[in-house]
Amino acid sequence: MASPTSEVITVSVPPEAGYVHILRAVTASVAARLPISIDGVEDLRLAVDEACAWLLARGRSESGMTLRLRPLDDRLEAEVSIDAVDGPWPPPDLQQSLPWKILSALVDTLSVDTDVGSPSIRLTKRTLEPSRTT
Amino acid sequence: MSSVERPIGSTDREVETELFKRLPDDAEAREQLVRMFLPLAEYLARRFDRRGEPLEDLVQVASVGLLNAIDRFDVERDVQFSTYAAVTIIGELKRHFRDKGWAIRVPRRLQEVGLRVNAVLPELSQELGRSPTVEEIAARCEASPEEILDAMEAVQAYSTTSLDSPVGEEGAAPIDVLGGDDPSLEILDGWASVAPAVKELPERERRVLYLRFFRGLTQSEIAKEVGVSQMHVSRILSQTLSFLRGAVLEEGDPLREAEPHGADLDET
Repeated sequence: MASPTSEVITVSVPPEAGYVHILRAVTASVAARLPISIDGVEDLRLAVDEACAWLLARGRSESGMTLRLRPLDDRLEAEVSIDAVDGPWPPPDLQQSLPWKILSALVDTLSVDTDVGSPSIRLTKRTLEPSRTT
Repeated sequence: MSSVERPIGSTDREVETELFKRLPDDAEAREQLVRMFLPLAEYLARRFDRRGEPLEDLVQVASVGLLNAIDRFDVERDVQFSTYAAVTIIGELKRHFRDKGWAIRVPRRLQEVGLRVNAVLPELSQELGRSPTVEEIAARCEASPEEILDAMEAVQAYSTTSLDSPVGEEGAAPIDVLGGDDPSLEILDGWASVAPAVKELPERERRVLYLRFFRGLTQSEIAKEVGVSQMHVSRILSQTLSFLRGAVLEEGDPLREAEPHGADLDET
């Protein structure tokens, strides 16, 4: 497989729950091109689902919800963002919140953009170590 | 009579019957019945959400079903209107998908791929000593990676039990076998403060949640331990998280976003 360098895949959908499945499917499809196990792909799918739902629950957006995927040699980076949120962002007691607990179990790194202007959730999933793939 | 907006559960049956007796001539009575049961229509429409249809369209379809139900309901019959309405509305929603050519069932080709994935996953995992990649699964199944993904997504998007047959031999309900000291309830209590609905989850769902989030098992490992396919684990997780989320968001309003676990999570 060609080793991906700095490709970025960006998908925007209307900020509605009904469109989340598109972002989920794109994530899985990009992840499947990397040496990521099927369990990892499924985790990513769940994570994008959760991240979108989290933002949508607080989101206020006319223009949409955006997913950016960056496949790298050793990991896949995914970022879900929305224009603005109602109320404080990141939410108080961030690490005690359910979405945080769920997300941190599903991915290798997790961060939340504290910029109120563009709330986003960034996550990465590592690929399998080269020696372990065939 | 303008105070009939009540939650479904406490709908006054006498009010309901009285309104039905004023049909079909009394437009106001009809209107009032629509208002009373619109939440039911919306609720059922949500159950069909996530199949790529805008929710408003589904609510529209469900409302048509509701109107039909109101017009056809026979008060003399010994059945609650809500029951009758639910059946009619669901029928209308299903017909809607059928008419659009969107099979509610997983297409045959994807079913076949899905079944093959189920069969191949455990053996590949064993051979490799880890969970296989999509490409590895595709090669073994003689399908494209896209087909593998489609099959897996289909299992998420469409409710079907066809892929859920236990991967094991005779398929004894593994949960029963596990029985006894189930640590998941106690440990998941940690989540109960943020997600009270954890306590409402059926045992199997709670256990899958526990194995994934507290024991850190992979989906394949959970599949093995619980005795269902990996894809089924994936769906259980996805639906359970969505249920918890709904329950957190709605804060006591059962008509918003709720995914009734009784029906949806307990298919097998």
